[in-house]
Amino acid sequence: MVGGFSILLWVGAFLCWIAYGIQYSSDKSASLNNVYLGSVLVLVVILTGIFAYYQEAKSTNIMSSFNKMIPQQALVIRDSEKKTIPAEQLVVGDIVEVKGGDQIPADIRVLSSQGCRVDNSSLTGESEPQPRSSEFTHENPLETKNICFYSTTCLEGTVTGMVINTGDRTIIGHIASLASGVGNEKTPIAIEIEHFVHIVAGVAVSIGILFFIIAVSLKYRVLDSVIFLIGIIVANVPEGLLATVTVTLSLTAKRMAKKNCLVKSPEAVETLGSTSIICSDKTGTLTQNRMTVAHLWFDNQIFVADTSEDHSNQVFDQSSSTWASLSKIITLCNRAEFKPGQENVPIMKKAVIGDASETALLKFSEVILGDVMEIRKRNRKVVEIPFNSTNKFQLSIHETDDPHDKRFLMVMKGAPERILEKCSTIMINGEEHPLDKSTAKAFHTAYMELGGLGERVLGFCHLYLPADEFPETYSFDIDAMNFPTSNLCFVGLLSMIDPPRSTVPDAVTKCRSAGIKVIMVTGDHPITAKAIAKSVGIISANSETVEDIAHRLNIPVEQVHQRDAKAAVVTGMELKDMSSEQLDEILANYQEIVFARTSPQQKLIIVEGCQRQDAVVAVTGDGVNDSPALKKADIGIAMGIAGSDAAKNAADMVLLDDNFASIVTGVEEGRLIFDNLKKTIAYTLTKNIAELCPFLIYIIAGLPLPIGTITILFIDLGTDIIPSIALAYEKAESDIMNRKPRHKKKDRLVNEQLAVYSYLHIGLMQALGAFLLYFTVYAQEGFLPHTLINLRVEWESDNVNDLEDHYGQEWTRYQREYLEWTGYTAFFVGILVQQIADLIIRKTRRNSIFQQGLFRNKVIWVGIASQIVIGLILSYGLGSITALNFTMLRAQYWFVAVPHAILIWVYDEVRKLFIRLYPGSWWDKNMYY
Amino acid sequence: MRRQLRSRRTPSFPYSYRYRLDDQDELNQNYLADEEEEAEEEARVMVKEEEEEEKKEEEEGQGQPTGNAWWQKLQIMSEYLWDPERRMFLARTGQSWSLILLIYFFFYASLAAVITLCMYTLFLTISPYIPTFTERVKPPGVMIRPFAHSLNFNFNVSEPETWQHYVISLNGFLQGYNDSLQEEMNVDCPPGQYFIQDGDEDEDKKACQFKRSFLKNCSGLEDPTFGYSTGQPCILLKMNRIVGFRPELGDPVKVSCKVQRGDENDIRSIRYYPESASFDLRYYPYYGKLTHVNYTSPLVAMHFTDVVKNQAVPVQCQLKGKGIINDVINDRFVGRVIFTLNIET
Repeated sequence: MVGGFSILLWVGAFLCWIAYGIQYSSDKSASLNNVYLGSVLVLVVILTGIFAYYQEAKSTNIMSSFNKMIPQQALVIRDSEKKTIPAEQLVVGDIVEVKGGDQIPADIRVLSSQGCRVDNSSLTGESEPQPRSSEFTHENPLETKNICFYSTTCLEGTVTGMVINTGDRTIIGHIASLASGVGNEKTPIAIEIEHFVHIVAGVAVSIGILFFIIAVSLKYRVLDSVIFLIGIIVANVPEGLLATVTVTLSLTAKRMAKKNCLVKSPEAVETLGSTSIICSDKTGTLTQNRMTVAHLWFDNQIFVADTSEDHSNQVFDQSSSTWASLSKIITLCNRAEFKPGQENVPIMKKAVIGDASETALLKFSEVILGDVMEIRKRNRKVVEIPFNSTNKFQLSIHETDDPHDKRFLMVMKGAPERILEKCSTIMINGEEHPLDKSTAKAFHTAYMELGGLGERVLGFCHLYLPADEFPETYSFDIDAMNFPTSNLCFVGLLSMIDPPRSTVPDAVTKCRSAGIKVIMVTGDHPITAKAIAKSVGIISANSETVEDIAHRLNIPVEQVHQRDAKAAVVTGMELKDMSSEQLDEILANYQEIVFARTSPQQKLIIVEGCQRQDAVVAVTGDGVNDSPALKKADIGIAMGIAGSDAAKNAADMVLLDDNFASIVTGVEEGRLIFDNLKKTIAYTLTKNIAELCPFLIYIIAGLPLPIGTITILFIDLGTDIIPSIALAYEKAESDIMNRKPRHKKKDRLVNEQLAVYSYLHIGLMQALGAFLLYFTVYAQEGFLPHTLINLRVEWESDNVNDLEDHYGQEWTRYQREYLEWTGYTAFFVGILVQQIADLIIRKTRRNSIFQQGLFRNKVIWVGIASQIVIGLILSYGLGSITALNFTMLRAQYWFVAVPHAILIWVYDEVRKLFIRLYPGSWWDKNMYY
Repeated sequence: MRRQLRSRRTPSFPYSYRYRLDDQDELNQNYLADEEEEAEEEARVMVKEEEEEEKKEEEEGQGQPTGNAWWQKLQIMSEYLWDPERRMFLARTGQSWSLILLIYFFFYASLAAVITLCMYTLFLTISPYIPTFTERVKPPGVMIRPFAHSLNFNFNVSEPETWQHYVISLNGFLQGYNDSLQEEMNVDCPPGQYFIQDGDEDEDKKACQFKRSFLKNCSGLEDPTFGYSTGQPCILLKMNRIVGFRPELGDPVKVSCKVQRGDENDIRSIRYYPESASFDLRYYPYYGKLTHVNYTSPLVAMHFTDVVKNQAVPVQCQLKGKGIINDVINDRFVGRVIFTLNIET
């Protein structure tokens, strides 16, 4: 309510009141017109202010309602009673109990714990669950074992602890404050709008002052000059535009919400459109965030498994009897189970009890073999040793489902090298072969290859225990290990990865073609990161890193020419030693970059580095550790499903489906809205000239005033509002995803071409058309154009009540005034009719209207209809309300400006034709906005 | 070096040359703009073109003490206004300016042609003799003479300088009504009926005589002071001319004056000249200035022979007759006129 145009309008209003004050002091019967005008201006300012506030509040509401969907509860012991209270009501000193699966409600010091493990990955990036006990183990609170952190998750066990920090004082809170310390910078569209306001205000003020001086030097009274000044300001300021822009942006925000992009502030919509770098987190955004079997190795051969979301298409050779053995091991040596009651859920979506890799194996075998539980039932489990970190293997002994085979089957899986150690034979094509050097080498090659893909590799082996040594009644004892665990038969390897979402590679390609650089920033291991980057196309198939080149040419990394590499993988360790110049160098020189093993602070540094290059940076992330970067980014994008609250709070946008591809949709919408805002602004600015010229002519040539300030307000805030919003529904002219993102400092929303074309071309033509109508009305009533020149003083004199017109007729003052209002109405209709043409030409900037389709955007026609209806109501419905200065207008006057409207259309088509015919020419450079 | 190259776009980029201002702002801020894949090729292509510019920029960048932002801005501004190196004024070369001006000249010339054509068409549709519509100027307004910026007649009978200007004004106004002139120019048409002249609208029309002598005591012929010297002022009332306006047949428009507010007896008597206090029908209709050249508006003179002295008397004179409206709230001059007489002795 104070910035930009509002200031100008306030100035206008005060000038009005001052003018009235001066008039009143000299003549007590001074008309109240100026007071009304001043009040109307203030009303306009206040209404637009309230409107903007309402829009803002509405979009904030979306977010706050979203937050409330997941209230966090804490189990606290108070007054010797266990109570469940909202987490934000915890205070330091509260004793809380947390059990497996819960989120830690505050920073707590552990008092007692039973087998508690917490997932600190969102805080530290460690993916392994961390044990927690009451022992104090380290000075550093992040390292010691007796502190659980707010917002991390307790995976298993229970823990009782005392709250030591709450809210902003927690470690997470500190990260969040790191985030909030990152200032809220203006969004690119806000900068653009400011720039535009500066241009328009500059034009308004300079023309205003220029004509004030001219008026004074033409011996007008200062009071009159002040009133001219007000008119010029009102004519120049597009009062309705900012509200229109807000509505347009929020319409797009709504449209995007339907496509699963929830935008917190409408301005962020456009920010996404101008994004030139996306720093994406890996887990959950690019990947499915679940381990999935990716490769198998048996019979000396690597097979590829289908890792798409539904696993539907497993094409590897399943005829080998080795596969039969392997599948048996996979099925049996597995403790994971489906949760009951999910018969109708697709396999891949079923909930599972068990850790990530066991889940992957369970689902893999369920898809291929069918009912795993039934198989397990047929092969009754006799005994098992679960996986632990010392053994690094898991073992179980089963009865076989072959009723004639009385042997026990021992199956084992684990770290490949540990499994291999225990084996003496290897199964190839269903037959056992001794494990010699060549087969061991083949194993190592396969292991390295799969490991090199960033996959987690497991080895599988089995042994049929001889029936004579281990009869049916044999009692196995896992503590005594009264069974062999060596000389087993190696069956195969199986590797798992968190596979990329199937939509991601396509989305990354789209980003590429849209000129957006996608950088992966992850806390994960570089090899995994690189593998995923390769598979989604962040590192394209034919580009190499410095290390790859060194490996290929077999030379040390230092000798490789830096320029030869297109891609780079940078780890957090390397990043720590880098100066910001070095980082800039990397960001500028490599097209494809992966940052691995990065900390929250480093993410922030990377984002800042990107911003130093004048890029508009989008950051995607889900963890708390991402939140500073999310906040620092020009647009932070949080994951709606996997995302933590901190991330969602710091972000400007939430992807409800966690899908990277939704970002591309968002970018498209953002770019479209930028283009359409250009059209809206061009449309709105055009009529400013038609509104301004009357005042200039009035001052210089002394014609009766062609259009009044109130009438101008009716155009700006009445007839033009709906059409300018309608332009937001315009479809893109060409594939907007095939061009580069706009440059923050070069591709302005309102550039010179737009202003010049709107003001000096179409605006001027409009003014001429409206003047034609004005002259027609006056001439038909008796005042031919030449009689009007320098008539102003007599015309406006209250004492002259017998002013002669061209025909010698004599007019009273009021009759002239009424005619003047008819002139206002005529000028208004003239602008209105030509604004319809203006609206139609603004549908496109380059293409012909006929290429774009005249009727594809139905809203435009709603806009045109609204224009005409409002015009009709003002002219005929309110004709008797003289305060509004509208009078009945003869029907034929509505058509006087139509040829001009057609001329505008034809002229713009010609302009577009030349732009299309001669791209890059002088015409294109100067006439394309 | 490399950085600087990268900070430039290709010459083919449509807006590049225009944003020098922005560019240079960024001069000292490691401005690494482009991530485009062609950056490398661009760089190679552009080396020659930009070498010169670069050198200059580097000099600028180093030569100035950093932090002197105002000086820098001024420099940028002045360079924007006039860049001697590339001979550019407001970021355009002379050639570019002349092209621009030429194009705009043609554009505006054709716009001017269009508007001229439109105005010409407009004039074609408008008759110079008869107005197309007259509804805005009807019903007729009323005006009085003498008129000197004010409707308050304040004068002191014994001080001629307070009323002299009324006399001069009336005299001047009545010059066109001199009997000799009227007899020479106009015809004496029969009273009590319209003076209708058929014929084409561009034919000259004759006008009826309205002689100054019709005004009798207010003609200024017998009393050259129009009664002001005796405190019995004459005020002439004139109905606004409207092309084609005809009062109701047989019922000429009458004038009647009375005190607007206050004691009705403040004006004890008014004499009207012509005595009928009406505008004779023969002066209607009016055919417009161009053809009805010598038309003289009929007048009614009001002779306030016995007005209360030494006090302001508001007088309202109304037209009465069919087709006359005299009670429009917003317009105090349609069918009526209000003025005050304040005659001091």
